[in-house]
Amino acid sequence: MDCGHTDERRRGNGERPAGTVPITSHGHQGAHVGNTHNEQHRTGRRAAWSVALAGGLLCATAAVVGSATSAGATRPAEADRELNVAIVGNPQMEDIASLTPELFTAETGITVNYTVLEEGTLREVVTRDVGAGGEQFDVVMIGMYETPQFGVNGWLVDLTPYATADETYAVDDLIPSVRSGLSVEDAMYASPFYAESSFLMYRQDVLDEAGIEMPANPTWDEVAEIARTVDSDEMAGICLRGKPGWGDLGASFTTVLNTFGATWWSANDDGTIGEAQIDQPEFKTALEFYTGLLADAGEDDAANASFNECLAQYRDGKVAMWYDATVAAGLLEADDSPVQGMNGYAMAPVMETESSGWLWSWALAIPQNSPDPDTAWEFISWATGPEYIAAAGDLISGGWAAIPPGTRLSTYELSEYQEAAAAFADQTLAAMDAAPIDSPGTTPRPGLPGVQYVGVPEFQDVGNRCTEEFSGVIAGRTTVDDALSACQDIASQAVS
Amino acid sequence: MTIEAAAVPVGGGTAARHRDEFRRPWRLRLPLLPALVFTILVTQVPFVMSIWYSLTNWKIVPPTPRKFVGLDNYGKLVDDRFFRDAAWVSVTMTVSAVLLSLVLGTLLALLLDRQFFGQGFVRTLLITPFLIMPVVAGLIWKNQMLNGLYGVLNWVLERVGIDSIEFVSRYPRGSIIAVLVWQWTPFMMLIVLAGLQSQSSEVLEASKVDGASAFGTFRQLTLPHLRSYLELGALLGTVYLIQVFDHVAVMTGGGRESTNLPYFVYQRSIGGGWVFGRASAYSIVVVVASIIVATVALRVLSRLLKGEEIA
Repeated sequence: MDCGHTDERRRGNGERPAGTVPITSHGHQGAHVGNTHNEQHRTGRRAAWSVALAGGLLCATAAVVGSATSAGATRPAEADRELNVAIVGNPQMEDIASLTPELFTAETGITVNYTVLEEGTLREVVTRDVGAGGEQFDVVMIGMYETPQFGVNGWLVDLTPYATADETYAVDDLIPSVRSGLSVEDAMYASPFYAESSFLMYRQDVLDEAGIEMPANPTWDEVAEIARTVDSDEMAGICLRGKPGWGDLGASFTTVLNTFGATWWSANDDGTIGEAQIDQPEFKTALEFYTGLLADAGEDDAANASFNECLAQYRDGKVAMWYDATVAAGLLEADDSPVQGMNGYAMAPVMETESSGWLWSWALAIPQNSPDPDTAWEFISWATGPEYIAAAGDLISGGWAAIPPGTRLSTYELSEYQEAAAAFADQTLAAMDAAPIDSPGTTPRPGLPGVQYVGVPEFQDVGNRCTEEFSGVIAGRTTVDDALSACQDIASQAVS
Repeated sequence: MTIEAAAVPVGGGTAARHRDEFRRPWRLRLPLLPALVFTILVTQVPFVMSIWYSLTNWKIVPPTPRKFVGLDNYGKLVDDRFFRDAAWVSVTMTVSAVLLSLVLGTLLALLLDRQFFGQGFVRTLLITPFLIMPVVAGLIWKNQMLNGLYGVLNWVLERVGIDSIEFVSRYPRGSIIAVLVWQWTPFMMLIVLAGLQSQSSEVLEASKVDGASAFGTFRQLTLPHLRSYLELGALLGTVYLIQVFDHVAVMTGGGRESTNLPYFVYQRSIGGGWVFGRASAYSIVVVVASIIVATVALRVLSRLLKGEEIA
């Protein structure tokens, strides 16, 4: 449809309401306008008006959408130093975004434009940008899954020279497991902003009332029994992620299937990716356990719940337990939290393995084609350095407990943090220490190390599409067997 | 036709001028050539490039050299059950949304065709859903209307004693169709209203004089008259609804029940699959299907504007 044409006609006739088109002599009008439709019966012209209006509406909608998409791609001039930074929309990141003008721009004169995106969208935008050679962002936030892969692909600037030369950054202060997770052969490709493992959070008061004691190292069977016991109409027994996405449901569920002895793919002897293992009985047991627990004692609308939804429900007192990232504890014990001081923490539940908690970090990296890596490092050094952590505690609404945890040893030596995070600081460090990064399950894994994911590029797509199937089971749309057979096909197709 | 005849004495000069314009030398039109070339470049080059991509095995994660593989991608497409699923979702989603919005749009148009106080105001209100951005409409419906915990619909259900239903999780396709119908009913209404207003009042009066019932008049006179308008609405609706992406992305984020072809192409390309070659092949198939529908739609549109049906 030709938008300019219909638009013009709309302007021409749009002023007149449809019912009041004056009857004129068509012969004369036809002579000086010369359009075919003017020579029709008057009602025909009204018809054209309405069709044109409908067409004009289509075009207007298209124009709005069009300008919205192109706005994101424009890049401001380089006159003043400016950085475009893509970050994930979690509370810690939103804190730093709001503190940047005061703490960073005022000191350095560098303006930082944040683009806050949802986890899945961020991943997509960043891969497209750094992978296909875009120049949209000077600094990108990526996770532990992508960092080594992108580094090996040559898409990221090696930060090691910057980090070692920058004294205020204090590179040796980084928690070793996190630093090595973001490095390939000693080249560090991203600087951790926060890092986390996963553990079980529970309402101490609720369990006390039910006369239940949580073991320090619970098994999934024990946790499931407790969840089914404390589950009531007002309060669900446990909150588990059920939203599709390899980093959402995929993360929680993969730690469960690891400890149930299942795996996504077998590994060949040289570490490359082998056959899909979704059709194995262990996988089915794990999926039946996970979906069954959610059906019996899970949160409301579990098929749509991930970290943020569970956080909201737990803080509202709608769930008694929650298995998720350790970083959540800081938000539960924050000054603005309604459940502050009411919680207990236990290690990630296990079955066949010794430990099952994941290891994850959101970290800042510089794409290889960034025009000004020095300015970008200046920002990374501030945002992930010890000074920001120490300064943020007094300024953010959540208080000291809500500062970005898990990245630096010095964080755990701050007296304010020790006091505010007394309930969970030790458990967080213990969980990160126990995360079985090199051997997450009972069989060898293909690709780069990883707990709640498989360190191969295929996992992102397979994880996304399989978790859609599993989420369908949680929602009650499909059966476990259907979902497993579809997922087996997806996983086999990806490696064929 | 009588009106045409009356116009001839005055319009004769116009016809002559028309002939002159056709004979005008090409050099007068030459300045338009850059614009024409530009239009061809920006509209057709991306399409030609995706045809080329669809013949390669392009993949960016991990970066691999692009290799020509001929029609391999199209061959694989045939026995890909996930592509077939997505195609089926596209067909059911488009057909049911178009038909439902057409029926509802016709009913609303019949109401709006009468004279009543505040007619213009009511018409504006009814058009509003069509003006809302698809992403916003999807989010509003998902979070404010259909949500299991605090959705308006579930609040109403609970008042009448029915347990709340997580619509989007339980019935993803139905929920998306509901929003599409809500958004596209005004569009269908406008087109059908155009048809109703082009109906000659003399014919209607004549049928009234002859003692035809209101329903009989509608079935035997109005409906045949509306036929080409309904066709136009259905075809334009199909062309646009086959491309629905926003609603799927914000409401369900995919899944076997709701991944339609555009979302499937997105997933296989920039949405995490990164297999651009195969995704291009999928999208070419969608484009070809859309072009077929669009061609039919444009024929109907031109017939309508020429006024063959009306006279």
